[in-house]
Amino acid sequence: MSKRTLRKSMDYIKKDYVRTRTMPGSWYLSNYKFKFNITHFKPFLDKLKEKKLVGLQCSSCNRVFFPPRLVCGKCMVKPDRWVDLRETGRVASFTITYLKDPETGDVLERPIVLVQQDGSDTTFTAELSPDVDYKDTYIGMPVKIHWAEDLKGGLMEILYYDLVEDDSKDLELRKD
Amino acid sequence: MGRQVCIASAGFSEHASKRSDVSMPELVSEAIEDCLNKAPSVDINDIDAFVNGNMPAFEGANMPELWMTDWMGARNKPLLRITTGGTTGGSVTIGGYYTVAAGLPGIDTVLAIAFEQQSQGDTSTGLASVAYGEISVLNSLGITYEQLTQLLSAGAAIGVASYQATNYMRRSKITEEDLARVVVQNRHNAAKTWWAHLKMPDLTIEDVLNTPYISYPLRYGMVCPASDGACALLFTTEEKAKELCDIPVYVNGVASVANETGVLGYNGSGAGQLDTSEQLGAMKSAELAFNQAKISFPRKEIDYAEVYSPFPNQELMWVERLGLFEENSATEMYKNGVTAPKGELPINCSGGVNSTNAIGASAMERPAEAALQIMGKASNQVPKTVHNAIGHGWGGIINLITMIVMGDEPARKAK
Repeated sequence: MSKRTLRKSMDYIKKDYVRTRTMPGSWYLSNYKFKFNITHFKPFLDKLKEKKLVGLQCSSCNRVFFPPRLVCGKCMVKPDRWVDLRETGRVASFTITYLKDPETGDVLERPIVLVQQDGSDTTFTAELSPDVDYKDTYIGMPVKIHWAEDLKGGLMEILYYDLVEDDSKDLELRKD
Repeated sequence: MGRQVCIASAGFSEHASKRSDVSMPELVSEAIEDCLNKAPSVDINDIDAFVNGNMPAFEGANMPELWMTDWMGARNKPLLRITTGGTTGGSVTIGGYYTVAAGLPGIDTVLAIAFEQQSQGDTSTGLASVAYGEISVLNSLGITYEQLTQLLSAGAAIGVASYQATNYMRRSKITEEDLARVVVQNRHNAAKTWWAHLKMPDLTIEDVLNTPYISYPLRYGMVCPASDGACALLFTTEEKAKELCDIPVYVNGVASVANETGVLGYNGSGAGQLDTSEQLGAMKSAELAFNQAKISFPRKEIDYAEVYSPFPNQELMWVERLGLFEENSATEMYKNGVTAPKGELPINCSGGVNSTNAIGASAMERPAEAALQIMGKASNQVPKTVHNAIGHGWGGIINLITMIVMGDEPARKAK
């Protein structure tokens, strides 16, 4: 989060303005009841409890959505075919967040990744294993799911992604 | 086919991080005053209809157009509000264009206004309130709000932009120095523009690279500010525009295209854009707008471009995706000075969104500045004659693109 990290202010040409009257105010934001259709999520979540991954395939363009989507934007068709997916994937994009530890005050560098699960055509945000050095993250990095120990149901059963150790030559090529 | 629409004038308010001297309506009327001053023969009473917009919920004041009517001079006149998030300004511009092009009886001159006073409210809360309806489905699937803000780098626009930056940097093999170079050019240009916010005439690449990271690969020095400001554009018909100003700017093509979202999908699903720097939506919207304007080779025919780039990687990306440069060649162009005000294809001579970002107004300031460059009235005027120019905007989860193509003469009629 930007406010917590160290900042050095940059100089620019400023102009001073006279102050007009300012009234502080605050809003109590009410409780909202957002409506969603997540019927298509049920088989997905059920399988997730068994540590199995399924994606929803559009029968028109054959794209596989993981997690499932209700409507394929390309074809305007309801995807209705469930396909099994492997636990492995690749890093489609990543960024590094700089969070300050509230207790020690150290800035933690944590890579946050967009993972494309093998066999699917979509990406999803996830965290990388704490063992991975943030400097080693790269696009195309092979990763594998690390399951949570106590299964509560829901997307957080995918705790984070582990790095897959692979010595094959083609990986080095992809790394540039 | 509707009527030919022209831009007769464009105006700005002064931009700063805290315009503590004015209230929101005063800020808006400042831009309108500047707009009308540039076209002296127009009076506020000559304006037939109004289109306006700002980002909802950012100032904690909803429906500002209703209590701002008197300040805009819109009393007893048709009034329309359009708001589409980051592209609000672009959509308001297109709304103003449509209102004139429709040819309704008695509606010839339309004032389009976009504004934002971010110092009044909390931008992060505003963004959260815009997105929360959609992302709250993730909460019901077990991801807490805290985890989600972490995943999206505190939830602000930089959260999605940094993924895009990593993608683009890999695709075009550029370094952070190349990103900093874009920032330096923009901030130098801003120093020559009277209404810009971050005026840094002495900024160097090293200065930018010495600032800490906000979210890799974007540093604090590379990121756009949060500004207060407003922008106004005067649309009118071809005949009237010739009376009102010396060089009327013809609006030859407009497009607004949404692609699938990047980073976050609808209803908690996977996101369809595997590579967020690919931007098929931008290509499509450029194609539509250029086709309308009968521009077949934008690289040669466009003389000036204003692209919506809060982050430097986006500026490099958009100029490529909109067809102004070949893929992966934008960095070279910035190195060689092609995009500088004295270069062949000047880009963002106002400093761009990178130097001034009043969110709701930003996407309108792009076509407004491009129109002023064609008229020859811009404050950082390029030395060469500008015949065709573009104004671009993006918003949403990097998926909605607006494009406005302008020229000093109407689009060539098909044979």
